[in-house]
Amino acid sequence: MKKNRILSLTVIMAGMFMMLSFINPQEQTQHAPWDIPQEYLDKTNPYDEYSSDMKRMGKMLWSKHCKSCHGNKGEGDGPKARQLETFPGDFTTEAFQNQTDGAMYYKSFVGRDEMPNYEKKIADEEERWALIYYMRDLKK
Amino acid sequence: MKKHITILLILAMISSTLFAQNETETKEIDKPVRYVFASGQLIDNQTSEIAAKNTLEWVIEHRFGTMDNGTTDLFGFYAPGANIRNGFNYSILDNLQVGYGLTLKNMYSDFNVKYVALKQTRKNTIPVFVTIYANMAIDGRNEDAFGTDYKFSNRMSYFSQLIVGRKFTHWLSMQAHTSFTHFNAVDQDMNHDVIGVGFNGRVNFSPQSSILFQYDIPLKIQSISEQREFDAAKPNLGIAYEVSTSTHTFQIYVTSANGILPQDNYLYNSFDFTNGASDLMFGFTITRLWGF
Repeated sequence: MKKNRILSLTVIMAGMFMMLSFINPQEQTQHAPWDIPQEYLDKTNPYDEYSSDMKRMGKMLWSKHCKSCHGNKGEGDGPKARQLETFPGDFTTEAFQNQTDGAMYYKSFVGRDEMPNYEKKIADEEERWALIYYMRDLKK
Repeated sequence: MKKHITILLILAMISSTLFAQNETETKEIDKPVRYVFASGQLIDNQTSEIAAKNTLEWVIEHRFGTMDNGTTDLFGFYAPGANIRNGFNYSILDNLQVGYGLTLKNMYSDFNVKYVALKQTRKNTIPVFVTIYANMAIDGRNEDAFGTDYKFSNRMSYFSQLIVGRKFTHWLSMQAHTSFTHFNAVDQDMNHDVIGVGFNGRVNFSPQSSILFQYDIPLKIQSISEQREFDAAKPNLGIAYEVSTSTHTFQIYVTSANGILPQDNYLYNSFDFTNGASDLMFGFTITRLWGF
């Protein structure tokens, strides 16, 4: 009798765990469309050459400011990404890379909600465009 | 005749201003060199970095006990006698910062100011950066610590420093400095004043990581001494690993001084790094920035 009770309890517990496994832990939401002002959409990269200096700068700025959320390769898998309510995006995808430079500029430096404003931290125009160049390099 | 001279002088002045305007129009602006150091702190020293205007910085500095007990107290990490400084700096301008800090040793309250007078430029118009740092500290111990003839001014000490440096390549920045320390009151066998020199640097080896070093020497100058014979305080040698992120900088280091406050190190440091582990200690600095 006792054995049966233990068996049925085990079965119930196992069933509960199985059911629980179908519940997704609070999923990150996909971001809503961005409303980007025209003046930013019209922006183009004024630096024609992606010099070795700019490459180094872009890499350094990415490591310092972006990597913790956006991940090493821009796949949105940085150590802090899981704490965000919104998925920070996969920068290696075509959808991301098809954006204009101006759109990337606005999202990166003006930001909104969980994406902080970086206009003060990265104040230099050349540094900003070095980072855009770096993000362009992240495509697969 | 006088009239003619006056007219000529006026004309000369006007023409010189016209030339000056032309020059500024054609001259390309030579911008300051970027990221000379990752932080305003370099172990126990200041650098030419100041956070952007209207930024608040919290600086936590910690010095553990000496390393000579080995694993017993985990090389001083769990030894008694640690020193701590908590400080806040605020950037009033992009090149002017004021700050306050409280140090455990002698409960020094220090008020400091840092001014970056010159910034090295990318095209070498200005080949070096020049930084001026000064502080005033108030010894916060009980009155008993100051003997029978107590005056508030006995608590005061001052430190002023001129730092000149250069970023040589994208991975190497170095600076040299000279400083003057003054304590209003010291023991009979001590000097009130010390002149110091030092040499610090940063070797950046990855986008976020660097090795830092410092060597600060209190000079033994008989002509400014009040003693017939005296020993200068010991030099402060330090080597650190630094990692910096968007808003934080973390430095972990080994040094041969535990005063944290520069004037204390220049006048009182008795740790001699040539003795090895018994005079060396681990320490760390964490900085956090908030922009407004």
